[in-house]
This record gives sequence, structure tokens and C-alpha cells, in this order.
Amino acid sequence: MEWKHKHLLGIDQLSGEEIKILLEKGNQYRNWLEQSPKKLTRLSGYYLINLFFEASTRTRVSFEMAGKLLGMEVVNFTNELSSLNKGESFRDTVRTLARMKADALVIRHRSSGIPLYISQFLPFHIINAGDGMREHPTQALLDLLTMKRDGIDFTRNTVAIIGDILHSRVARSLSIGLKKLGSQIIFSGPPTLIPKGIEVLEGQVIYPVEEAIRQANVVYLLRIQKERQEAGFFPSTKEYSHFFGLKENLKNTNNGRWKKIMHPGPVNRGLEIDSSLVEKESSLIEEQVSCGLAIRMAVLETLILGG
Amino acid sequence: MNKLLIKNGTVILPQKDRTIEADVLIDDGVIVQIEPGINDGKAEVINASGCLVGPGFINIHVHFREPGEEKKEDLLSGSRAAIKGGFTSVLCMPNTRPPIDSPLVISYLLSRAREIGLVNVFLTAAISLGLEGKAMTDVGLLKNAGAIALSDDGKCVKDSLLLYRLMTYSKYFHMPIILHEEDTDIAGEGQVNEGKMAFKMGYRSLPKVAEDSIIARDLVLAHSTEALVHFTHLSTAMSVKLIEWFQGQGVKVSSDVTPHHLLLDDQSILQYGNQAKVKPPLRDQTDIVALKEGIQRGVIKILASDHAPHTHEDKEGDFNEAAFGISNLEIAVPLYAKALIEDGIINWLDFWKLLSFNPAQFLGLIKKGSLETGMDADITILDPDTHHEVKVNEFVSKGRNCPFDGWQLKGWPVATIVNGKIMMRPS
Ligand SMILES: [Zn+2]
Repeated sequence: MEWKHKHLLGIDQLSGEEIKILLEKGNQYRNWLEQSPKKLTRLSGYYLINLFFEASTRTRVSFEMAGKLLGMEVVNFTNELSSLNKGESFRDTVRTLARMKADALVIRHRSSGIPLYISQFLPFHIINAGDGMREHPTQALLDLLTMKRDGIDFTRNTVAIIGDILHSRVARSLSIGLKKLGSQIIFSGPPTLIPKGIEVLEGQVIYPVEEAIRQANVVYLLRIQKERQEAGFFPSTKEYSHFFGLKENLKNTNNGRWKKIMHPGPVNRGLEIDSSLVEKESSLIEEQVSCGLAIRMAVLETLILGG
Repeated sequence: MNKLLIKNGTVILPQKDRTIEADVLIDDGVIVQIEPGINDGKAEVINASGCLVGPGFINIHVHFREPGEEKKEDLLSGSRAAIKGGFTSVLCMPNTRPPIDSPLVISYLLSRAREIGLVNVFLTAAISLGLEGKAMTDVGLLKNAGAIALSDDGKCVKDSLLLYRLMTYSKYFHMPIILHEEDTDIAGEGQVNEGKMAFKMGYRSLPKVAEDSIIARDLVLAHSTEALVHFTHLSTAMSVKLIEWFQGQGVKVSSDVTPHHLLLDDQSILQYGNQAKVKPPLRDQTDIVALKEGIQRGVIKILASDHAPHTHEDKEGDFNEAAFGISNLEIAVPLYAKALIEDGIINWLDFWKLLSFNPAQFLGLIKKGSLETGMDADITILDPDTHHEVKVNEFVSKGRNCPFDGWQLKGWPVATIVNGKIMMRPS
């Protein structure tokens, strides 16, 4: 099948079939990651620029490794290095980058829509590594890959996404991806963080959190930024962890099976989730990191070489 | 003996919207039988002939001043005043010192109230930490500790975003929000209703629009969030109009009034001076008429009292310096009877709905507010024909700040039964 997208701006543009292709390729890379030494030359001679206007060591390193494992040359630009601080406009910065003649650009920015905007005048393949509150497509793909590898049948799958849905690009991308593969979605958390308009994601809002968890087989916890409490969305971290955090007593299913626990990381232990649960066998949190590397390899290869 | 039989009364059944001539049998704190001609040799008998027997009155707005201002009132004196006033349950407002904004204060007060054991004491927790209007309290943890509603009473929640978030958030915990509505910028140092009296006396005015404008804001917020919102101590005609309009749009807000806002107007200040200084201030006759009509039409669903006891020192002297508030818990019921029954605004059955059934429904007290088998045996017996003079120096409340001294009132509670125990007996 020929790959028809030049960029990966969001999960929204992909069909269910296209998502499955990326997952299949990601799965192969995930298996391959267990080998050593692991150096491929498939993308040697190609240049990747990582442009992060928002700090995220985890995602940036994941893209950097993915590129290098495929033989790419990788250049990192962080916010401090970019000339934005010197008063250059964003558009000028990007145009300067364009003259550098790379092949692919991974970008993270706090404004929703920036990857789409720059894709209109940059000649590279653009990969959205998180834009504001809109999308984080490789996160969604890695989450889906993690579920797939855990043996989850997407058509019989219910995922409860708990926490700060309002500000979460992860929740948006993941929900869109899950829907395209036929899964059911439940949202829960403090009502101040469950936005009006959430119907567009075609999930069900269920209160309280206990009930949402009861009905799900995967519990996906979103990271809670401390500044949400300062902004008044919920009273205190003590209250949050008590009522909305995942605790030992909540994760049992009706038939005695443990729920799968996921989290995009990094985890605030004791806030979204009890510390003891992070490393339990039912937790897929660490596997998500490995799947992240694999899926980013799959994305880079697919965009640059085609399907 | 823990059986009690109330004989020959007219029994008020607000949940069934009717009254019947019947006896009521109570066993171990629970109502077990309601029908004519009950006999039980083991039961203590109360003769209620000529009296009305209904579910205990619930006052959703009182200040018991504990902790911190026990000179004005404490849980014991407040509970005794409630019993004497025919109330079996009270809801205390959180503007104590420290305010009721932490689980610790709640558990302390609830255990004190249990020790005293006279009436059912329910607690409102603060909306904002320290009642400062800045940060939301731990609504869920406060509910777990035993609070059943939220309020910053005494103060208005000025920060619209805070209130919007609170309304959204508190729904998760089914916690009703009781609002004191007063735009603090407009109210300023206001002491009395804006108008002739204020002008003539040279007092700073607290215009009606201070209440109306905030009620309008909060009705819109309630409409948007679908929160359980209640407006306490309404004082203006416009408030009633606004609430009625929004109720017509399907917004489920409720409200209450105090007896003094129905019986006194701003002219009363000329007669009673500091004793008639309250917040919101006494308004004028058009407002009184509108409030009564609001009750009659079912717009205002609850009668509360805003029992606000103060020491003599806090109430005396310069009008501008005197504290706001009236101590009224012991006489609220006959005051309401004067304002509403004597004027033919409502009948006794509706009276009971406004003072017992509706407050219980609003607060989610499922075992209270109705007379039915299986319900808590909280019962108030009222003699509609009793006449007494109000004698403030006989108050059991520590608060003697009350303009109604010497008033002749009719329709007093004569017995108060809480959890099957007779706390006040018919004399
Ligand atoms: Zn009050």
C-alpha cells in the first residue's frame, strides 16, 4: 500500500487501516529492539531536526534514538538554542531552518496548530510531537501499540481515560485512535477538567471515577500538572489523589482480573496513581516507553520511504 | 421506655400533600405507625389534641459561633434555642473562628454536637479557604468528614471563576452550595437599604442592586453548570423575579427568606435601632409583598432564619459600628406564622413543607422531612392557637439581639421530639 501522507500532524488524518500499518511496522521494530547490536542503515544520509519549544526530554530523546537507530543524522534544537529569544519571529526561525535542508522535522510547541502552520511552507516531513492541547499522534500510536502487544482486541476494548482531559492532547489523540480501531472510551475525573464539547471524542463521561474504572479493561491515567491546582481546577493534590487517583482497591475487575494501567509519563507518584501500582505486572507504563521508540522508528521510515 | 405515642393530633403529611387525624407511634427513634386509634400500653403518651403534629422543623441557616465566639453562642446554647423554637435539625454556617474549612474542625464540632445530643446539628463547610474567596476548599474531603453543604455565608463569593469552578466541581460530590448574595463593591460600607430612611438618617446605603446583580450572575452560572445552588436570605423583589424566570427555564435553584425580612421594613430601624440592623438590610413594603408572593407561588421553597446571635457589646452603641444580625431561633416559627398564616399567604401544610420537607429534600436528608413509617422520629408539635408575648430576656440563646421583644405571637411549637426523645414537652 502506498503511503499518501507527507506529514504526521495528527491521528485525525489517519484511517484505521493506516494506523494498523504503522502498528504492524512498530511491532516489528519493537521485536527488533531486543537485539544487539542494533544499528540499521535504512535512513542513512537523511537528516532529522528535533525542534522543541517546550521541554520534554522523554519525547525528544525517543525521537533522537529512533532516528539514530535507523542511521539518520539528528540535530536537536531546544527553545534556548533557537533564536526566538533574540526577537526573531517564529516564522523567521522556521524559514532559517528550512534553509538547512534537512529531511524531517519533529516539532513540539505550546500553541495548537503550529505543525500544520509550518507544514504549509517548509519542505520537510513534519512530525507533530505535541502541539498545545490539540494532538500528540506518536503518543497515541505508541499507546495503541502497547495495547496491541498486550493482546488486547481493539474491538472488544474499553479504555477509561482519567484526569485532565481538558488540557490533554494525549487524551484527544488517543481517543481518536481508539475510536478508529473500534474501541469504547470512558472519560472521568474532576468535572472541572472534563470539558464541554467532549462529545466530539465519542466517549462516555462516567462519574464517579470508581464506576468509570469498573467498566473499563484499560485504565489510562493522565498526568496532572501542579499548576492546574494553582489555577483552581481542583482544590488540592491531597483531594485529587484521594478521589481521582488510582489506588490498589480500584484496579480489580469483576472477574478477578487486574486492569491494565497506562500513563503517558512521567508519573506523579501518589497523585494520579499509588506508587505501588506503577511497577505492578498489570502496569504497562514502562512498556509504553519501549513502544514509543519502536513506533517513532516506524513513523520516520514510513514518512520518508513511503508505505 | 423508648416507645412514644402522640395521640389525637392533626398529623401533617407533607410528602402526601395532606393532613389526617391520627396517632403517631414511635419506637426506638423511628416512626413505626401512623393511624387513628393506636393504643400501646408500653408507650409514653403525649396528648396532642388541638395541635398539629408534623415532621421536625429544619433550619438551614443558623450561626452557633463555635468555635471561637462562644460568648455569642455555642453548640449547647444554640441547640437549646433550637429545641425551644421547635427545630429538630439545624444547619450551621461556617463563619466561625477558625472557619469550618478543614476536616479537623468538622470532626471536632460533630463530636461536640453528638455529646450534647439535643438536636441534629449539620454543618456547612466553607466554599473558600479561610472564607477569603481565593481558593476552593477540599470539597470531597470535607464531605467525607461530615459536611453536607457549602457556603461562604456572611460573605459573597466575589471571584466568578472560583464560583464557576466550584459549581462544576461540587456536583461530583452532590454538595449543595448556599450563597450569600451581595456585590461587595456596591455594598461597600452600606448599613441600610438605599432610600428615604437612609438618606434622612444619614446612614450609608446598601442598595438592592447589590443583591440583584449577583443573583443574576449566579443564576447564569447555575444554569450553565447545573449545580445545586441555593440563595439564602433573599431580600428584594427583583431577586424573586429573577429566580422565578430562571426556574421557568428549568434551572433547579432554590432560595430561602428570614422572618425579619417578611415582618420588618427599613422604617423599622427608626423604632428598633441597632436591633434591626441585619444583612441583607431590611427593605421596603414592595419587597415584602414580593417575597410573600414568591413563597405563595412556590418560587421560594424554604424558610430559614439566619439566627445570628451577638453579645450586647457587639450590638450596642453607634449604629454604624453595631454588628449585623438578629437572634431569632426561638421565635422563628411563630414569626413565620404571623407573616404567612395570619395573612393567609399559605396554610399549615405548606408551612410544614417550607420548614421541613423542602429543607430535607434540598439537603438530601432522606430520613427526615416527612412523617412516614421508617423515618427518623423527629417531630414538632405546634399549637396553632397559643398566644405568647416574646420575652427576649427569657431566651435560652446567648443572643438577646432581637427587635421582636414584646410582640404578641400566635402559633408556637409546644413539643420538640428528636430521634424519638422528647426534648421539649407540652406544658
Ligand atoms: Zn448568616
